[in-house]
Amino acid sequence: MQNLDSAAFATLGAAAADPVAYAQSWKARNGRPVIGSFPMNFPSELTHATGALPVIIQESRTTITEGRSLLPEFYCSYTRSLADQAAIGELDVFDAFVLADHCVQLLGAVDVIRWAKPEIPTHFAQFISSMDDPWSQGQVIDKIGSLRAEVEEIVGTVVTAEALSRSIRLFNENRRLLREFYDLRKSGRVRITASQMQTLVKSSMVMDIQEHSALLRDILGALEPEARENGQTAPDSLVRIHLSGHFCAPPRPELLDVIEECGALVVNDDLYHGFRYISTDVPEDVDPFDALALWYLDRNISAPCGTRVQRNVDWDSYLISSLEDSGSDGVITLMAKFCEPLMLYYPELKKALDGRDIPVLLIETEHEGVAEESVRTRVETFVERIRRNKTAVPSLT
Amino acid sequence: MSLEAPSREPLELLTTHDRTLDAPDKSNRLSSTKTGGKMVADYWENIFTAKERGKHVVWYNGTALNPIFQAAGLEWCHGEAFSARLAAMHLEGPAQAAGEEYGYIGELCSYARTHLGCAVMTQKGITEKQNGIVGMVDQEELASKLPSPDFFVNAYAGCSTGQQWDAMTYRVFGKEFPIFNVSLPMIWGNKKDAGYLRGSEWEKTPLYVEEQLKKLIEFIEYQTKKTFDWDALSENMYYIKRASELRLEAMALCAAAPTPATYWDWVASIAPINFMPANQALVDYFQGVKDEIQYRLDNKISAVQNEKYRVYFDGIMNWNKLGWLTRKFAEYDVAVVAGRYTHDSFWQEPQLIDLDRPLLGMAQHYLICPINHGLKIMEELLIKRCDEYGIDGIAFHSTRTCRAMTNPQHILARTAETERGIKSFFFEGDVADAAFYKDESLESGLVAMLESIDQQRARALV
Repeated sequence: MQNLDSAAFATLGAAAADPVAYAQSWKARNGRPVIGSFPMNFPSELTHATGALPVIIQESRTTITEGRSLLPEFYCSYTRSLADQAAIGELDVFDAFVLADHCVQLLGAVDVIRWAKPEIPTHFAQFISSMDDPWSQGQVIDKIGSLRAEVEEIVGTVVTAEALSRSIRLFNENRRLLREFYDLRKSGRVRITASQMQTLVKSSMVMDIQEHSALLRDILGALEPEARENGQTAPDSLVRIHLSGHFCAPPRPELLDVIEECGALVVNDDLYHGFRYISTDVPEDVDPFDALALWYLDRNISAPCGTRVQRNVDWDSYLISSLEDSGSDGVITLMAKFCEPLMLYYPELKKALDGRDIPVLLIETEHEGVAEESVRTRVETFVERIRRNKTAVPSLT
Repeated sequence: MSLEAPSREPLELLTTHDRTLDAPDKSNRLSSTKTGGKMVADYWENIFTAKERGKHVVWYNGTALNPIFQAAGLEWCHGEAFSARLAAMHLEGPAQAAGEEYGYIGELCSYARTHLGCAVMTQKGITEKQNGIVGMVDQEELASKLPSPDFFVNAYAGCSTGQQWDAMTYRVFGKEFPIFNVSLPMIWGNKKDAGYLRGSEWEKTPLYVEEQLKKLIEFIEYQTKKTFDWDALSENMYYIKRASELRLEAMALCAAAPTPATYWDWVASIAPINFMPANQALVDYFQGVKDEIQYRLDNKISAVQNEKYRVYFDGIMNWNKLGWLTRKFAEYDVAVVAGRYTHDSFWQEPQLIDLDRPLLGMAQHYLICPINHGLKIMEELLIKRCDEYGIDGIAFHSTRTCRAMTNPQHILARTAETERGIKSFFFEGDVADAAFYKDESLESGLVAMLESIDQQRARALV
């Protein structure tokens, strides 16, 4: 198998590791605003169409200090990090903040940001989270209109249908390129570690989309053609794993590396900093503003999420089908501590997996990281259990 | 050198549930609220027999949709109310154990966890009945007594977990019963004109909710195969409006110092105003409460002996500790006179209720749930209440599994200090999980705050 390793990948890695530095540099180069949005459903295309740089604000690696006195300790690490970043000035590069998601913890953090940075405009257009009501689509279209007015005012420009259509095409192309990496990994033709995949996706959330797509093309182009077409598959000794869960913020790359060091080969995921983010394209054959609303509603069908409610869509059945598609042997669910949507949905996922004898391991993550040796022991045991099941000697009975 | 071990008093290892405060009880609770206790007990006993009486049962969470359910002839089970009841009676254990066994983690909202545990137990009962097995689930266990739902309605303001919780209850029952979601947007306060009950966001949002309530009524008509009784809804809202007016008038009497009733009395009156049937009995209940408070005022009877400090309670109620906290605060001469959970919830703006257009006033009330505002409005409400009730200090209940109610507390504490010089303290606990309550954290924080208030007062005299 070929590995990803190039100057282009290093550029993506630098942006993913320090999105604020990238934003500062972009702003200095382009002299245009940087608009920060919050996970997981804000349509960056709309901000991009104004000429500003859309950036999905990330959890910082900085130890939380000031933020501890602004949000309770029983909030998830992402929201506590946001409060901390606001308090210590890490968000000063942003000219405005926008969001569309109603998560009670996220709104708490954004309220802290509004309080700490009153001079920076903050706009919340709450997308309905009940996806299949007769009024759902109309509500989202209405909110897209409200967001449009806000970003136009912030940047001082008008978002035309043509500009938005162009942005949609650019983002669709970027998602398509990223999905190509997913296909290469799933088929085993190219070795892409889970932490590398995170870098590919995370950098797309914070970088200029055209620059990002160009770098993705460079990386793909550097892969040997035969490997792309007929590359070797991974050794059978590795256990094929699907990573599930972890909304809003990425699990630490070190954790992903430990998982793969234990004999697991991550072949697919439904992480937000993963396939969930790139699962769905914005339709290009309808009014572009309406298309953003359709994209929002379509996403929960392409990759169902525990933060949305929809009667005829189930994350558990999606997960089972995804495992069949990738040939995964088991699931590792990564749960940011105190993430209520995942705490609520996890029993349904486990029930579905248990019902099909698919092994699952739950790992809780925290801002400060988790004890490596403890995780290593648990993952090694999990991998070993799957290996034994795969090679089980048939009973005489 | 002596080798004799130092003598120590044995540690007090009993939980607060099993302990009695040594100090004499200085609280003086209203006696009229006992009527409410009986009303609530009778209500639940009635619910438990709903199926035997051939009634349609709706399970719901969040806002007070009960006037609609009552007008439709339904029996209604409010999830949080049942979780709170179990916790207040110290009977939450079996439901929480059932939830834990099903896979819910202990950091999940304990209201949701308890109620989902009830759902698991009720569902198990259905399955066993279908399989001809009787008695596997102990029907004497209060947590397992809820009748199975015919459908669900969710209308949760402020807390995103609320909607997801019912989506999971729907799945625990194998999606066998339909669910209707009313989506209640946050009153976030983006615009410059935003404020409590004012601004363009406030003008527009209730209309959107009102339209959904109309659709809800169509859904109920379809489920029950009965035409909705709009006159009954107006009549229900008449009683709610009158009960609410009496409640607010009675609360206003507590601006007097010493106060004739406390926050704990208003906590005891939450169930009646939140989900009891709207009828003359409800009005009579609040008339009785108001009369008793007026009597106390006229006869100079205070709710706390030797009231020295007037405290505001921010946070959701710790249902496991209602009696304990009542005595604890009184022991330190503290009258807890008002709180966000009691005073900024539950039909608290009755003038909004128009009996000719009841759904709009209901929609407006659902949106002014105290966890459905952005920080700016919460600050406005906090300062207003502090001024109304002459507040000296604030007790922030840092409610472990309720992210919605704890959301802005740290900033509210700073606002109270900055705007009015009001001191505060935080203590740890939870709505329905006794494991998170830390008595020492309450006691040390409270004592420290009272000392600060004493110093403030001494400085003011200089």
